[in-house]
Amino acid sequence: MADISITTEDIPSTNPAKAVKMLHFTGQLDESNVDEKSKEVYQLIEAAQGPLYLIFDLAGLEYMNSKSIGYLTDWYTKLSEKQGGIVLAQARPNILDILQVVGITQLIQSYATIEEAKAAVIQ
Amino acid sequence: METQLPTTSAPLPNGEQTTPIAPATSGASETGAATPPPVSSPEALPVAQKPAEPVKITITLPTNAYFMSGIRDFTLALIKNMTKFPEQWAYRFQSVVDELCNNAIEHGSAPGKEITVIFLQNDEKSVQIMVEDSGTGKDKFNAAQLHELVAQRLQPDYAFSGIRGRGLAKIVSAWTDELTFTDLPTGGIRATITKRLDDPKMNDPTALPSTDPTHVLLTN
Repeated sequence: MADISITTEDIPSTNPAKAVKMLHFTGQLDESNVDEKSKEVYQLIEAAQGPLYLIFDLAGLEYMNSKSIGYLTDWYTKLSEKQGGIVLAQARPNILDILQVVGITQLIQSYATIEEAKAAVIQ
Repeated sequence: METQLPTTSAPLPNGEQTTPIAPATSGASETGAATPPPVSSPEALPVAQKPAEPVKITITLPTNAYFMSGIRDFTLALIKNMTKFPEQWAYRFQSVVDELCNNAIEHGSAPGKEITVIFLQNDEKSVQIMVEDSGTGKDKFNAAQLHELVAQRLQPDYAFSGIRGRGLAKIVSAWTDELTFTDLPTGGIRATITKRLDDPKMNDPTALPSTDPTHVLLTN
């Protein structure tokens, strides 16, 4: 079974009405763990009282399958409905490759560094 | 209906012989490492060499996603070490194999049954990978139905709305030259992918082969 951990960090925002959190992914998201692990992200989304932006730090993510990308799309849709969103940061080349081939990078912005991702959502 | 692939060492459909690296028995731990023959003296120690003949490696594993990280590791090492595909393609094959196996596990083989993954390298210019299910899964498809499903999802205006459904159409189809579904005598389905090294975009890391008009989707 593949190992995956997601740790959450609150990011200070200049706009008190907008919450920003960073999720650090470490390991592999695949068929053996993604259904269970996705619940943690859904809980964050459902608990949000207002607009919530999530920065996904993918530096430690070694693999993601098509279902993980399906969940990513669903999270983005749900957050967008609350005027929030998701941005990606530090994705490895193989992760960026699969996100591009599926077309997700046309929907969700991906940044090379954490600083760029933060700058994009903290305004 | 196509007949089942010959067992290891039997003639291939093209008349060539396979060279077994590992026997086709059950268990995901079979990484293809051949057992060296007995040696009579230190001078006679065998040197591991890449076989010149076509190579076929068969792995049978239980219908359980638990084993997929091992299959992905094996795929990555195999493509890196035994083919001339660029490293980027080792990761792409990892995803292709993972998606095909996940489909076989989820739809084609019931818990307690097995799926089979076959890696076939006829020459240094192409790789063929087959994934077979047992036809005992909860969602019973035949090859024609699966072909139709993927063909629908390959349409440019197809809208993916759920969590699932992107594996075959958006990943496997994009990163292969041919995708074939075959009904097996056992009642299962074999999905076969072929990727050739003579793709002119092979060494362009920015190229997205999803727009490749030469991709072929077949039903046998």
